[in-house]
Formats: sequence, structure tokens, C-alpha cells
Amino acid sequence: MHIQWLVRTLTVPVLGYVLVAAVQAPKRPVKGTATPSFQRTVQPFLANNCFACHNTKLKSGDVDLKSSAAQAEPLEDRQLWDLVIRKIRTGEMPPKGLPRPKMDDIERVTAWIEGEFDRRDRKTKPDPGRVTARRLNRYEYNATVRDLVGIDLHPADTFPADDAGYGFDNIADVLSLSPVLMEKYMTAAENIARAAIVAGPVQYKPTRIQLKAESVGMGEHLKLKPLKSGFAGPLPAKTALHVRYRTPVEAEYDLRVGLGGIRPVSQITGEPPEPVKMRLWIDGQPENTWEVDPGTGKPRNFETRLKLTGGEHSISAAFVDDNFDPKENPIGRRDRYLTIDLFEIHGPYNPVTPPLPPTQYRILSCNHPLNQHEPACARKIVTDLARRGFRRTPTEAEISRLTHLVEMAQTEGDTFEEGVRVALAAVLVSPHFLFRIERDPDPLNPKAEHPVSDLELASRLSYFLWSSMPDDELLAKAEAGLLRKPAVLAAEVHRMLADPKVRALSENFAGQWLQLRNLDEVKPDPDRFPDFDEELRQAMKVETELFIQAIVRDDRSILDFLDGNFTYLNERLATHYGVPGVEGPEFRKVMLTGDHRGGVLTQASVLTVSSYPTRTSPVIRGKWILENILNAPPPPPPPNVPAIDEAAVGSTGSLRQQMEKHRSNAICASCHARMDPLGFGLENYDGIGAWRTMDGQFPVDASGSLPNRKSFSNPSQLKLILKADTDQFARCVVEKMLTYALGRGLEPFDKPAVQSISRTLANNGYRFSTLISSIVNSTPFQMRRGEAPK
Amino acid sequence: MIITGKHVPRRMFLRGVGSAIALPLLDSMTPAFAAKTSAKPPTRVAFAYVPNGIIMNHWRPATTGADFELPRILEPLKPHKEQMVLLSGLTQNGGRALGDGPGDHARAAASFLTGVHPRKTAGSDMRCGVSVDQVAAKALGSQTRFASLELGCEDGRLVGNCDSGYSCAYSNSISWRGEATPMPPEVNPRIVFERLFGSVDGAESPAARNRRQQYRKSILDFVNEDTKQLQASLGPTDRRKLDEYLFGIREIEKRIEAAEATARVAPPEMEVPDGVPVDFAEHVKLMFDLMLAAFQTDSTRIATFMIGREGSNRTYREIGVPDPHHGISHHKGDPVLIKKVAQINRYHVEQFSYFVGKLASTPDGDGTLLDHSIIVYGSGISDGNRHLHHDLPVAVFGKGSGAWKPGRHIAYPRDTPMANLYLTMLDRIGVPAESIGDSTGKLEHLTDLS
Repeated sequence: MHIQWLVRTLTVPVLGYVLVAAVQAPKRPVKGTATPSFQRTVQPFLANNCFACHNTKLKSGDVDLKSSAAQAEPLEDRQLWDLVIRKIRTGEMPPKGLPRPKMDDIERVTAWIEGEFDRRDRKTKPDPGRVTARRLNRYEYNATVRDLVGIDLHPADTFPADDAGYGFDNIADVLSLSPVLMEKYMTAAENIARAAIVAGPVQYKPTRIQLKAESVGMGEHLKLKPLKSGFAGPLPAKTALHVRYRTPVEAEYDLRVGLGGIRPVSQITGEPPEPVKMRLWIDGQPENTWEVDPGTGKPRNFETRLKLTGGEHSISAAFVDDNFDPKENPIGRRDRYLTIDLFEIHGPYNPVTPPLPPTQYRILSCNHPLNQHEPACARKIVTDLARRGFRRTPTEAEISRLTHLVEMAQTEGDTFEEGVRVALAAVLVSPHFLFRIERDPDPLNPKAEHPVSDLELASRLSYFLWSSMPDDELLAKAEAGLLRKPAVLAAEVHRMLADPKVRALSENFAGQWLQLRNLDEVKPDPDRFPDFDEELRQAMKVETELFIQAIVRDDRSILDFLDGNFTYLNERLATHYGVPGVEGPEFRKVMLTGDHRGGVLTQASVLTVSSYPTRTSPVIRGKWILENILNAPPPPPPPNVPAIDEAAVGSTGSLRQQMEKHRSNAICASCHARMDPLGFGLENYDGIGAWRTMDGQFPVDASGSLPNRKSFSNPSQLKLILKADTDQFARCVVEKMLTYALGRGLEPFDKPAVQSISRTLANNGYRFSTLISSIVNSTPFQMRRGEAPK
Repeated sequence: MIITGKHVPRRMFLRGVGSAIALPLLDSMTPAFAAKTSAKPPTRVAFAYVPNGIIMNHWRPATTGADFELPRILEPLKPHKEQMVLLSGLTQNGGRALGDGPGDHARAAASFLTGVHPRKTAGSDMRCGVSVDQVAAKALGSQTRFASLELGCEDGRLVGNCDSGYSCAYSNSISWRGEATPMPPEVNPRIVFERLFGSVDGAESPAARNRRQQYRKSILDFVNEDTKQLQASLGPTDRRKLDEYLFGIREIEKRIEAAEATARVAPPEMEVPDGVPVDFAEHVKLMFDLMLAAFQTDSTRIATFMIGREGSNRTYREIGVPDPHHGISHHKGDPVLIKKVAQINRYHVEQFSYFVGKLASTPDGDGTLLDHSIIVYGSGISDGNRHLHHDLPVAVFGKGSGAWKPGRHIAYPRDTPMANLYLTMLDRIGVPAESIGDSTGKLEHLTDLS
């Protein structure tokens, strides 16, 4: 069965559950009650429209509907019929050139088949599936450590990247643990323990730190643009150098800056102008101003000693005294430049003994001063660490062995605090911390379905909504056995959605669903897109993040993803979009007027990740819509396909003309007929999402018609068409979100759950909170079962 | 190794992402007395992988034997021609569709060192094979501080479908420790450096270090016991996940024991790398430097390096190719695109040639490091346009401590398993193996010494 299914997915453009895993649902034989009704309703339709090709002899696309329909139980193969429904509904079948069935007939036949499956689903015992022990991914590790010890250290940033499956990087089966990662867990655990607990006087060794700019620059020298004269207020991101540095301790630090510049001798007066000036800001406060006479252009080093508190600081530098003189000649003499070649900090010197970190009090919960511990305290401390770290009540054996670690360090002559560090590190490398392991009473019996424990449910909730551990309140509710009370569960979900930590959902779920993370990697060609820079890249990202956060926070309809009439812009992005009246670097909510922008499809982030570095790609954008808006990914192209003549695009013909040539190839046409029109509908946006009406020397033509004969002539009409098929979009979001929530790919047996969630969603105005709560209440989220033998 | 006072390349500055990085003002590392003076230097093995195939017309020489002309892509290796065995005709059958349809890029990487046809899945029941470097690492890894080293230049951080329904793990890793355990490459040279030679901030006294090691051992004992109890109650899939965990724990234990036996290994003359360079060539060079350093200090004898992730869409503006690599590898015979792809192929070879040069100029025992190395360079795809997995581009460098006589081009009959090369290599480095992947025996002629 498996092989046959795969073959089918390859030979025809399968919709929907292509990504579904190889494990076939256990067959549940259904009695052939459908047959008489099937004969009346479906059979004649198939005979008229499908059997000519999909018969035993031709078996077009490896689909033989005639045989299937003739079986005693025609609806046996559910995958097949799901496919049939989609193909007919989207108008891909019957193929172009053949007579099209009436819309009414299509509706009647597909509704009958779906109704029949629904009826059966209600009778069948639901299969919740099972999730493999899931290692925390990098984001989850960082967030969990933050919430466990109380400092945001981001230790996982140097861990190996997490592999993704089904479009997400929290898929249990794909998250493997290499020896390198285990090493990093070990080191991270020790470092976290050291940062969280002070175990005696600390020696600080002065180091040299090269500071790196966040917003600007590459190249031999960092060349700063001058600030506008009379400048006041926050430093602009683009024209100033901004770096962040986290000092280990309150102390003195030397900041060393290598400055140079260009200062041409005036043609008019024969005098060199004023020296070039750089001003330094520490945490937003102006500090030193240095004057550089670049002379021969050789950079000079400047140094200043700063007193900094322990923790994060921002250091900025800007070129403050531009004196562009348009009267000078040649052009090179008109302007001066400041360059920064070196930016480093030395220190700490003369550190101030820091007070104990707040984490100390949180972890050493008996609140005793350094070196005045009570032995009984160790037990209390490790019990609390293990409870929160393992996200459950620790066993007596665990508590006593952790207590023993504290004692061991003391026996070695170390402090009590050092002992707690060892115990904390042990918690942090324990499999109970690193993995989310759910237990089955009967692990080898796939029929043994059971609700997950209250504590496991608490972790499912917190990692779904927060990508982190349960907080004390949630953990307490679970320990008290209250979480399965519908009112309590609903209240917890409500509370969690209102917590700032829910940001993880937009970052991780939406960031991956919409492929926003790829924005960090795209490299638009600077020759074609000279406007693109780091600041714009950041602005694109922030816009979509804020937009999604608004949908979550304000509990808006998920249909707003498609055409919400608002967004978040700052000046840079507003300029890029041609939206007037937005000034300054801060983002703010902007109500959209006109039909150029609205919804994620028109946001520069999405438009950029779905383009080539050198140009737009209607194919990639079309594929992006099929995958992420309709959850109907096209099959991959066969190898050896004719490519677009890149050189010809924009010069000897528009991209559309080139692509239409490409599509004249029959093999390509079958999929591209579905994919390309969607992408062409977005041709008014260039490769970095700016609005355009010309493609090279050709006017943009953003019209198209879909296989279901619906046609459009601009992006907003395309969006209307997509929005009109609300069910399909909603189901797409449900399937993606459920995959993310469960940490596994969806299986055929998850279909009833998807249906039921989708229905609840539709009945509640597609509100975001309904999506979340109906997933939380679904069978696969609430339950699990033993493993089927392989 | 003194870090201050050294010229810091200006270009390394104020660029890129990431946070600030600390360097010590004073170096406190103990000098190397770890360089063992054993009679016979060990043989090192490395594999360098390039993605998206190669323009074979500009790779494969017209003639075989010792007297062959280097085509355009291989030209940068001219100084090392006498150290090279060029192998034509080798096939990675596991890379082919074999009924699984598209996904050649994922399969190319996954099969390259395993000789296994990976299971098509986006997640559940991922299955590949144990790669040749890991077979060697399992046998020889206990002799060095690190069983093996996995390096790369592209983070597998992208989201979305990697290749036609294959999990991203397949295209991101060529090294597989177990059937379901890829060894993801590290791309940050700084992290590789710290892993090999220790963190450079903070001078730890030997006594403090010893105590830390001892605490580590106690912690590992704690989790070992925990895990064993846990495993007993789990189903097979969960148990497999914890096997990965336990293996990692044992590796750390091993390193603690090794550390007790030897003094800390000092890094060779090398500037501490400063995160991921923006410049591709600089990045590749640094990774090769680290590989060299690891070999030189005998920190490991086995390494793999993915110069690009399979299916990589990296652009190479610096050599006049602003187009995405994978995109243009489907050139459909267009001479302009072919030229661009060949430029990328050659560019990669140039970087690699630097590494071979370094190995050749680094003394090692009675000869050079290159004399005691077997370095394989290649791709799991030959013609990237058509996704072919036969007649792969494969070149082997070094004498492998007398394993064979280099300076030849050997052409094998079509469909000779690539895994036969690996079987031959394993034999030469003293790792007994009956077979690996789809191997059918050792390669003929390769081990001819005359």
C-alpha cells in the first residue's frame, strides 16, 4: 500500500495530505452500505467525466477509478477519494479541453462523498496517534532555561541547527541528538549554573572584545553617512553605528575606536576644512566627541575609559558634522567622510563586587546568605529545581540523588552554592529536561488509546503556546488534577494566550508557516535591487511579526492573514511601499487604504522570500500560495525541465511571455496551469515586494485565470478568490497549526480531527482563539496510544 | 599563541550578525606536549562535499593513466596533480529514484557516504545508513579526543520543504552515525575552534579543571542511571531517541577519561576565528584551517566537510555569478549557465586546493600530513541538470600512508559502486569491514603501487 501510494503522489499532482507520513492507518473495514446510494449519486458522474481515462486499461496518472467504483466497498481508499474531490473542485479535472461538468453536479457528488466519510468518522473510534519523545529544539531550550532559572542567556544559539520536517523544526521524529549537541548541552548546563548562582568571589579577567555593528556596514572601512545638521532625538539606525555589549560585571572598561576619514583640501580656499568629528553615545547618552584629522587618511586610535554597570549596554557612534559643499570641485572635494576601522572594548578593570543575582534567591529558595546554609535546604532546593525542570513531581530517588550531588561538592571542599550548581547542571542535562517524554501504560499496543497525563497535557499546552515550560500556575493546576475540567482548561488557555510569552507562537509557528525565517538568508541582487539593505530586511520581518501578533492578541479572524486591512510600518518600509505620512524608525499600526496592500500575501517579507535574488518568480510565489495558503503543494518538477531564458527576461520579452513559452511544454503545463496564475497575480510586486507597474520595459500584467475558471486582473482580485474559498484556507491553517501543536506530521487518521476543528472554527467566525482552543480540545492533542510494530 | 598585537584583518570587523565575542588579553594555554611522538603517524581521512553536481565536461580528463590533462575545473589543483587519484565511473545507486520519484538532492547527500538509498519521509521513520566516516570513527575514534569532526558552510536553518518530501536532515548532512542519526555539520569556525581547543576566555587552574571534570563525571553518572530506568519503560522509537542521548553521554565520558590521561592540547599557530565570515572563500578557508589544525594536533583523524548543503542556492557574486547555484545547475544546455556553474565548480576546487597545499606543506612524522592522509573530494550528483548519480566527480588526494600511488586517472566501468572506494579505504586504514552500503568489493587498480 505504501509504495502504491507513493507512486501515485508522484505521478499526479496530489493535493492535501502529500506530506502525510508513510505509516498507513490501520485498516478499519467498513460495511458496504454506501453502494446503492453510491451507484445512484456518484457512479453516473464518474462514468460521464472520469472513466474515459481513469479505467483499468489506461489508468491515467496511475488512478483507476472504474475499478475502485466497481468494488463492493467503493469508498475503501480514502486517500483516493480525497484526491478526487479536490481535483474536481479545483477544476483540474477533467483536464482542459474536455467538457466540464455542471457546478451543481460537482457540488452534489463531492458533498455526498464527504458526507459519507463524515458519517463513518462519527462511528469510528478516533485514533489519537502518538508522538515520539521530543527533544527541545533550540528555541524551546532557550525559552525553557529562561523560565527555569530566570535569566535570558540564549545558550542554544550556538547549538547545531534543528532539522525540520513537515515544514516545522519541532517535529519529534526529526529532532536527533548528535554527540556534538550532547557536548553542548553539557557545557551549556555548566555555564547556566555558573551564571545563575554565585558560589563565591569571582575573578574577572580582562578581555578584548571586538564589537560588531548590528545595523550597518561591511567593507574595508565602515563608512558612516553624516547626520543631518541640527540633529536631535534618537539616533537613526542607518546613519549611526550601533553595537550592543553585555558586560560581565559593573566595572571600568576601555573603549578603543580607530577613526579615519576623508577630508579634501578646499579648491576654493585652499584650506582643509574642520576635522571630522565622531560622537559616542552610551545607552543613548552622548559621551565623547572625537576630532580626527585624517591627514594622509591613516586611521588613528582613540580611547576612553567608561564606567559601566553589569549587563547589556548599547554603544552608538555617529559622524556629526557634515559639511557638504556643492560649490567645491571636483565632486570628490565636496564631501567628507568618517570611517571607523576598529571598535573594541577592553575590560573589566576594577570590578565592583556585584550583589547576588536575583536568580540566586529564586533558586536557593531558603534565602540564606552565602556560606550559612542549612543542610535540609539542599533537599528543598533540588526538589524545586527537579519539579520545574522535569515539569512533573520528582521521584524520591531523584531527589535524594540530586541532594547527594550537593553534598558531594561540599565534601570536596566546595561551597554549598557550588553544590547547587552541580545539581542544577545535572537537572539541565537529564533526559527528563532535554526531552518531552510521554508515557504509555502499554507502549507496544497501538490500540491502547489513553488520555495523556495532566502534567503531560500541561507541557503540551505550554510548548504549543509558549515554546517553553509550564509556569507555576499551570504546573500547580496539573498537579492538582484540575486541568481536565473544561472550565479550568479554557481559562488556562485564555490566560496563556494573554501572556507575552505567546509571542513564541507567532515567531515559531508563523515564522515557519510563512517561511519568514528564510528572510535572514535571502540575498537580493544589489544591482537589481539597490534599495535592499539590512534595515529594510529587518523592517520586513518586524512588519509581519507585528501583524501576526496583532491577530493573536486581538483575537482576530484568521482570514485577516489573507486581507487584513491594517499593518505595521515604519518610515523605511512605508517609503518602500509608497505609503505616505509614516515618519521615524518606530513601527506603528497603519490602516491600509487602496488595494495595493493588505494581508501577508502583499507583505514584502513574503514577497521577498518567494523571489529569486535577481527577479520575481511567479512559479515560486504560486507554489508558495499552494503550499502555505491552500495546503495543496504541487509535486516537484521532473528533472531536465527547460529553464527560463533569464537573459531574455525584461529585454526580449516579459517574464510572463517567457513563462508562457515554458508552459507550452505539456508535461509542465499540467501543474503550472495551477501554480503560475497564482504567482502572476502578484507580479505587481517586484523581487523585494515594492509595487511596480512595469517589468523591465514591459507593462506588468497581473491577470490570470485558475483551472476552476475563476479569473482576476490584479492582486486584490486574486486575494478575493482565495478568500472566497474560506474552507480551504481555514483547513490549511488548521492542518499547519495542528502539525505544529503535535510535533508530528498529520496522518490519514487525523482527518476527522481536522474536520472537526475546521468546523468549530467556521462556526465561531474563524477567531484565532477558537483555532487554539479547538486544537487543544482535539483528540490527537488530548490523547495518545502505544506504538504499532513496524 | 599570542592573540593581541596581531594584525586583525579589518575586513573581519563590524560586519555580519551575531554578538560580540571575547578574546583574552593574555594567552594562558599550556604548551603542547600532547603531540605524541609515536613511531608511525596515523592516517587521516577527510571527505569534502560540493552540492548540485559538476559540469563534467570540464572535470573529467580525456585520458586515463598517469598522463592526463587537467580540465578547467580541476586546473587549480595542478600543483597537487601528483598527489591526486581521479576516479571516474563511480556510481551512488542509492541516490537514484528507485521508484521514489523526485528528491535527487536529498538522496545525493544522504547516499554519498553511506551507499544507502534513504527512506523517503519528511519526518517519521527517517532511515539512511551509517556513513563511511562514522564506520571509521567507531573503529578508530577512541584513539583521539574526538571521534570525528563534521563541518559545513551553510546552516540547515531554512524552513519549508527541503527536497520533494525528504526531511531536511537528508540534504543537510553527509555524515550519519546511525541509520536515523545524522551528524549535522557545524558552520561556525569559532565554535569549532572552542570545541577542539577549549574556550579561550577564562583561565582555569588545573585544580579547578580537575574538579570540574570530576563533577561532570558525577553528573553523567546521575543521568546515566536515570536514563536506564526510563528506557526500560518506553516503546522502541522513544528508546532509540534515548540511545542517541546515551551515546552522546558516553562520548563525553570518554573525553573526560582522555583528558585525565593527557595534558590539554594547545592549538597550533592559528588566529582564533571570529564567528562566521561573510566572505564565502574566507569561511571555507577557515574551516579547512580548522580541519588541518585538528589533524595536526591529532585531535581527530576523521572529518567531513559540506562546502555547500545539497541543493544549495548560494549566490557567488564575488566571481560574477549572482544567480542561485541550484537554480542554474538546471542549465538545460544553455552555454551561459553552464559557464557560470563551471565557474562555481572551479571556485570550490580553488578553495579545496588551498587545503591540499596546506596538508602538503605541513610536516608530519617522516613526511607531510598529505602523505598520511586520504582526502576525498566530490559530489553525489554528476550532471546537476539531469540529476545523474552515475559517473560521479570523485578525486582522492594523499598517499594514505602508502595506501596507493597517486598521480593517476582511473576510469571504472559504469555503475561501479562508490561504496567500493570506501571499502578499499577502510581496508587501507585498518578498519575491517565486510561491506558498506551497496558495496560489492574493493576497487581494482586503486591500490596498485606502481
